[in-house]
This record gives sequence, structure tokens and C-alpha cells, in this order.
Amino acid sequence: MNCDDFKPLMMGYLDDELEPELRSRVEAHLAECPDCREELEQFRSMKEDLNMVTFKEPSDAELERYWSSVYNRLERGMGWILFSLGAIILLCYGGFKVVEEVVKDPEIGLLVKGGILALVFGTVVLFVSLLRERLALLKTDKYSREVER
Amino acid sequence: MNEDEAALLRRCKEGDKAAYGTIVKRYAGQAVGAAYLLLGNYEDAREASQDAFVRAWRNIGSFDTTRPFYPWYSTLLRNLCIDRLRRRKEMRGLQSVPEPDSSANNPVLEAERKELCQNVRQAVLGLPVKHREVILMNHFQDMSYEQMAESLDVPIGTVMSRLYYARCALREKLADTSQ
Repeated sequence: MNCDDFKPLMMGYLDDELEPELRSRVEAHLAECPDCREELEQFRSMKEDLNMVTFKEPSDAELERYWSSVYNRLERGMGWILFSLGAIILLCYGGFKVVEEVVKDPEIGLLVKGGILALVFGTVVLFVSLLRERLALLKTDKYSREVER
Repeated sequence: MNEDEAALLRRCKEGDKAAYGTIVKRYAGQAVGAAYLLLGNYEDAREASQDAFVRAWRNIGSFDTTRPFYPWYSTLLRNLCIDRLRRRKEMRGLQSVPEPDSSANNPVLEAERKELCQNVRQAVLGLPVKHREVILMNHFQDMSYEQMAESLDVPIGTVMSRLYYARCALREKLADTSQ
């Protein structure tokens, strides 16, 4: 193994993530390679600097505002689900009634009947198509795996 | 993971929003900070981190409560941030610097030496996204290589390799910013 092979392992060595056997091999390489030793020291020094930088902890008031915003979104999500469900039920019922009225009404001409029916069925086809696309997308959604973890 | 968190997560699974509030408040600072280091903009970071909490809540039913919450959450957050960057067309070449942040004086990082804090912020945000994310996971979120590999969906060897190149790039950026 040459230096290039050891460089990624050096990261594991620095972060104490190596198995004892690999750790010994890295140590053996470091003992005989001054360039890798120097690079490791640079990374160690950079890591120490980065360890001194941390994320700011928000104040209690900021945390309350933050949670309140998340909470509102959670509530809104349920609102949208109920709204969509209601809208779908009403649209289906309305569509069914329109078709029923149009078919039964002798005063409406064939052309207009055809137009209205095409519009209603077109809407249904578009809706089903969009729904199918969304479901297919969900199956291949890159988030689905991480969500299952 | 402590027992307290496992108990809170079990209550979340039963629909207890107050328990989720405790979890959200516990990780909010870390979440906004992580999103900020990926997006480079405070308002975007706040919004993305909240989106991720909403997404986590909606999927809490499938979450294994014996596992710690934050690594799972951070994967959701990372992907939402990457989506936002993609929408900003930053992903083209993964090289561009984030849009200038109007909240430059209100960073999410802190250190005793203000200058160090500013240099690190500038250097990390100057990195390509694929480097930024491993630096973020390793240095700022204390994730183990195993957790990083799971989050990035790559083998541990790839994590070490990416980390090496990311650290090399960061070393250069830090040298540039401190000059």
C-alpha cells in the first residue's frame, strides 16, 4: 500500500474509527512516512480548531417561537388533508349529479351533452392519472427509504 | 440514546404533540445550524429545518424508537436542503457559493475567538456541497462513520475517502480566509 491508500484510513485513525488491526497498520505507515505524519498533524490541528466552533443554542423565547411555527404546520397539515378529502367527495358527488341531470334532460342538445360528459370524464381521467403518478413517485421517492429507517 | 428520549418518542408515536415539542426544542439549534451550513442562508435554514420536523412527525409511526432521533432526522433534513439547493440550481457542478446571506451578522455558529468562527463559517460555505455535508456530519454533528454511511447511503470506505478530500479542501479554504 502506498501513501494514497493510507490517506482515507488516516481519517479513520484521526477520528478513532478504525478497528485495532487497521489502526496498527496506519501507525506502522506513519512511523516510516514523515509526509503523512505532517499531513495528519495538520488535520489534527484543523479538527481542534473546528471543535472550538459550535452551534449557537437558541434562547427559550426563540425555541418557543420555533416550536410554535412547527406546531402550526402540523395542524395545517391535518387541515389540508380534511379539506382535500371533503373537496374530493363533493367533486365526485357533483360530477355524478351533473352527468345524471345532463343525461336525463331532454332539452339539452346532443352536442352540449357530449361536451359536458367529455368535460366531466376528462376531469376524472386527469385526476386518476395525477393520482397514479403521485403514487408511483412515492414508491421511488428517495425519502421513502430514510423514512423507514 | 437516553431513556428519556425513547419515552418521549414513544409518546410521539401515540400522537402526543407536547412530547414532540420537547424533542423539537432539544434539537432546534443543531438543526438550524446544520441547515445553515448547507444552505448558507438563515431564513432558508430555519424553514428547511422546520419542514424536516414536520416530515419527521408525519413518519414517526414508522420510526424505531429504540434508535436515536437526531441521525434519522438529520438525513431527512439533509435531503430537504439538497432539494432546496437543487431548486436554486446550485447543484450544477456543486461548486457555487451560496447566495449572500443578509443575516451575515447573525450566524448560527459561536466560538470564543470571533475571528475563528467567521473564518470557519466562510470556509465551510465556500466548499462544494458534497464536501460541506461530510464536514457538517463529522465535525458539527458528531456523527459516527457508520451513521454517516447510512445517511449518505455509501460504504464506510467512501465516507473516509470523502472526508479526506473534504478536509483537504477545507484546509485550503481556511488558509485562504485567514490570510
